[in-house]
Amino acid sequence: MSNLSGNAYALTVLSPIKPGIVADEEIAYADKVRSILLGWNELKNSPMTAVPQTYLCRYFVLDNPYTESLPGGGALDTISDWLPVVPDWLRRAVMPAHDQLKSRYLVFSANVHVGPSGDIAPYLRGMWQAIRPQIESIWQYCYGFDEVKDADGFAAYIQRCALPASLFFVGSNDEALPEQLKALYIKQEFAKFAVANQGLPTATLRQHFRDFMTRIAPHELAAPTWEPGKYRLP
Amino acid sequence: MTQQLDLLDIQGNVLRAYGRFRYPAARYVFFNIRDGARGRDFVAALTRRVTTAVQWGEGPDKLPAPEWTLNVAFAYQGLKELDLPRESLIGFSPEFVAGMKDRRDILGDDGPSAPEHWDPIWQRNRETREHDVHVFVSINGLMPLPKDAEPAAIHAAVLEAQVRVEAGYRWLQDQLAACQGGVVQLGGHRGDDGDLLDYQDVKAVLDNGVPTSKEHFGYTDGIGDPVFEGVPYDADRINGRGKQLDNGQWAPLAAGEFLLGHTDEALEYPPAPSPLLLSRNGTYMIYRKLHENVGTFEKYLDEHGERYQGGKELLAAKFVGRWRDNGAPIVKAWDAASKARFDAELAALEKAHDSHGADQLLSNFTYDEDMSGGRCPFSAHIRRINPRASLELTRDEQPPAKVCGGFSVSKGAFDTPGALSNRRRILRRGLPYGEVKDRSRDDGNHGIVIMMLNADINRQFEFVQQQWINYGNDFKAGNDKEILLGNHSQSEHFPSKAVLQVDPNSDEAPYILPRLPRFVETRGGDYFFVPSLTALRMIAAGTVDPT
Repeated sequence: MSNLSGNAYALTVLSPIKPGIVADEEIAYADKVRSILLGWNELKNSPMTAVPQTYLCRYFVLDNPYTESLPGGGALDTISDWLPVVPDWLRRAVMPAHDQLKSRYLVFSANVHVGPSGDIAPYLRGMWQAIRPQIESIWQYCYGFDEVKDADGFAAYIQRCALPASLFFVGSNDEALPEQLKALYIKQEFAKFAVANQGLPTATLRQHFRDFMTRIAPHELAAPTWEPGKYRLP
Repeated sequence: MTQQLDLLDIQGNVLRAYGRFRYPAARYVFFNIRDGARGRDFVAALTRRVTTAVQWGEGPDKLPAPEWTLNVAFAYQGLKELDLPRESLIGFSPEFVAGMKDRRDILGDDGPSAPEHWDPIWQRNRETREHDVHVFVSINGLMPLPKDAEPAAIHAAVLEAQVRVEAGYRWLQDQLAACQGGVVQLGGHRGDDGDLLDYQDVKAVLDNGVPTSKEHFGYTDGIGDPVFEGVPYDADRINGRGKQLDNGQWAPLAAGEFLLGHTDEALEYPPAPSPLLLSRNGTYMIYRKLHENVGTFEKYLDEHGERYQGGKELLAAKFVGRWRDNGAPIVKAWDAASKARFDAELAALEKAHDSHGADQLLSNFTYDEDMSGGRCPFSAHIRRINPRASLELTRDEQPPAKVCGGFSVSKGAFDTPGALSNRRRILRRGLPYGEVKDRSRDDGNHGIVIMMLNADINRQFEFVQQQWINYGNDFKAGNDKEILLGNHSQSEHFPSKAVLQVDPNSDEAPYILPRLPRFVETRGGDYFFVPSLTALRMIAAGTVDPT
């Protein structure tokens, strides 16, 4: 299973949260992390919009898994349904045990652009540089994070917590984030242009189109464009 | 053997759109129950007069059509006030319990459609116990056969239908009086000149005194309602109205899409309250009063009709997917020549009084030849509310003959061509209200009261309203909303638009409808449960027992 698809990287990180109590507050570390994350929802925009090349990401606290029913026991279990001669103790013996998690986890899952190198470390270093205070505010309660002192340490730590999961967000293509944001901007502006200019004589249309191309500057990635995290222009 | 429905156990308005059975006028009345026991007596009195779905006519197992019909439905609060057991109440669907006002975000009832603009009866509903709408009663009046075919005679018959509605209403008032205050009628329906009325009157739009099947924008309404199993009077109207099978043939939809206690298209029983006798042969009804901004519609159509190459009437047809004059589906009549052919064919069938043939001509079509929307746009009314098999679309794999933008039917991805739409079908009942006195104004008393029936409000009505009318994703139409009913945005930066597609092989440019205004605004409504006759009797007797 690969975390890479073209230039996109699917990152899934599970960091175990320590079982402690926050000093001066009657709240467990994991609940504190959840509370901070819920607070991010109240902000105008996610702190992650400041992290370059983030297509999409999600944070949550994983509690013990929620189990709706016991899993089946495979072929023997099925046979025992047909042939009740299989003794019940034997049937039960082959049923999988109900696992419990050893701790609660901070889950960070993201789809990011990493480029042809396929290396996630530069992205993680960029993340540290962009939002170090927010990173520390939530990861400080996780095992092993007290070793993290700098960007390289953070990149190494996250990679230790990462799973080989390849779940990709289909809503983005292979391009770097600024390219995609510019493309969305152009698409939206072009729709407006089409509405505003339909039915005009060819010469006028050409002139307007030239003006349009100058205004939107298709090769200028920096501006005008969408800002990360924004889903519509003001 | 095909399924037989118990017609005498099903309320008549579930299986019949009365307007199509010579009932051109109706009155809708709403009540608040103040005393449970008297409320049940009221229900008992109404139940004895409720119109069932029995076949009308002469002969065995048939009854004559009544001079006025009567049908009953309840909002969740009403069922509570009638003392249904808690065990039964918790079985009703969450959206029915919550009600239409609470679901406004899903329905897109914002801006001018928001509850603060609704008629007072609906504004006050679900705010205080005394103003909650509990019971819905509808009375439709039968038009006697006119003496001759002259407009004057037909108009006299229409007036007689209204007299019959009045007679039904007087009967209803007598039943109400007998409750001695245990049941109270709720007023607050806006009428002409801002009058507040004690009831909602509806009637067919008249042309020279003769009833038409048009609504106030001039479109023919009520064509192509779904046909489902066991409805005897629809047995020959399946093509184009039922579900399409693998081999291209049509079959009636499963009864469980429209009636509780019957299996649906997934071969499951729709979720329903217990006991079975409470829910079986009942259904959910969505009552919605929709104001039509006639002035805005005329102005927009005039303005763009001049610019649009096909002219004003073709543009009007593109909004809905049907021509205004005779309801011709635009996929069958997309240009002057095909429209002329269609008109001649329809006229011949009408002349021969072949109503079945005419119905099939109007209803029996697919979008298979129009997968790119060049004839019927993706945002046209009829394509959005019933996309038939056209959602199973895919980009052409071998595009040499077609340019970019060409879609075709995705073969083999689903069991049947209608797999994505068969579970989103809705029965539509309703009539226009008010009259348009000035076609240049929006503010008159004119619109349509639409009642939609389905087994699952969320899966059917709310899904269509949210995903297909107000979003464009499923139609690959971006942010475009359904042209006529969409809750269009007037925002400066994101005004609504809709694209009228063209044949991708042609040199035509698509026409974009810019700055779409709201043509239709919600004026109120709620969700109701339409019980079977058996359930009505049990509710009236207080013997609903889920144990």
